[in-house]
Amino acid sequence: MIISVASGKGGTGKTTVSVALAQSLGYCNFYDFDVEAPNSDIFLKPDINHYQKVYVKYPYFIKKDGVSFKACSDFCHFNAIASINEDYIFFEELCHGCGGCILVGPEGYVREKDAEVGEISKGFKSPGIYFFMGNLKPKSMRTSNIQGDLEKMLDRNQTVIIDSPPGNSCSMVNAVKNCDYCILVTEPTPYGLSDLKISIDVLKNLNKKFGIIINRDGIGNKELEDFCRQNSYKILLKIPNDINIAKTYSKGGSLLEWEPKMKDKFLGIIDEIEKEVG
Amino acid sequence: MKICISSTGDNIDSSVDPRFGRCPFFLIYDDSTETYEFISNASRNAMGGAGIQAAQEVISKGAEAVITGNIGPNSYRVFESAKIKIYTGVSGPLKEAIAKFKANQLTSTSGPSVQSHFGMGKE
Repeated sequence: MIISVASGKGGTGKTTVSVALAQSLGYCNFYDFDVEAPNSDIFLKPDINHYQKVYVKYPYFIKKDGVSFKACSDFCHFNAIASINEDYIFFEELCHGCGGCILVGPEGYVREKDAEVGEISKGFKSPGIYFFMGNLKPKSMRTSNIQGDLEKMLDRNQTVIIDSPPGNSCSMVNAVKNCDYCILVTEPTPYGLSDLKISIDVLKNLNKKFGIIINRDGIGNKELEDFCRQNSYKILLKIPNDINIAKTYSKGGSLLEWEPKMKDKFLGIIDEIEKEVG
Repeated sequence: MKICISSTGDNIDSSVDPRFGRCPFFLIYDDSTETYEFISNASRNAMGGAGIQAAQEVISKGAEAVITGNIGPNSYRVFESAKIKIYTGVSGPLKEAIAKFKANQLTSTSGPSVQSHFGMGKE
């Protein structure tokens, strides 16, 4: 079973919840899909024993008198190549690696090479958490390529926890598209509610089952809960707005270190999800 | 010599647009014949690299100098490689900008004036 933990708004507690779930389970596979800013290792503290580089194909251009790359720049929707008379500028950070410039460009003068865009670290945390974390190189746009390699490592026969990146765009879709159930973490503020609605739209489009965890319960207003009640969305848990949670977090501690009794609550949530997924 | 000015509209009473890559129109002005034309900026809504695309378009129109409010690092690189002079920090009516250019009152920039994505989300 695959459970993804996602949130439209950033900083609501995706990693806090996914780490607590993994620690409560003790035996599971954990994947940090937030490859642009992965930080679950700080809280799970796995022993990293393997790094796997992620490579993608990038074009390179061979300059020669009389050879123009205008066809390439006209073709590229991301404007990664500028053609100025017989000169050119390649903006690597804008390239999405579609290979179109090789097809339309002067034959033999546009070629492909491997470029490193990031890496996946693999590790283990006792008693039985297998840990996988993607890490995109700064300035690279290839979020999906790192996530794609992480996806290949998903093992549906295990209990899988995926920590999603914030937002509701491609990188979030990549983190939830394989899940059997998605936990949406939000906070009871207008911003939290607004982004939750977008996340729910995405999940409905993907036909995913989901439930909601309200973090920092006690701040903001009651609109979020009213919204969940009116639409019969399940609230799986409310985490209080407690300064001691923040203090524990700031030292790399998890919810279970703040309050060991949380373990039973998270195991209860897993039971509930298992029943719903069937 | 042809000059290009980023413009808020497609008539001569418009103003200099503070953005380059995502401005709506470019005025291409020829100071030797005192004639001009407006071109619509096709890359204003590009997913990315608007400045790069716009700079190539402006170069292909034969402009040798660019007058605008701000220029980002990518379009700056394109103009630099084509040895085109860039005047930034210009605002107000197009006519005024042309007059200042003719009177040599504008100073050219030696680097980008803003970061990438400056012109995004400012309609």
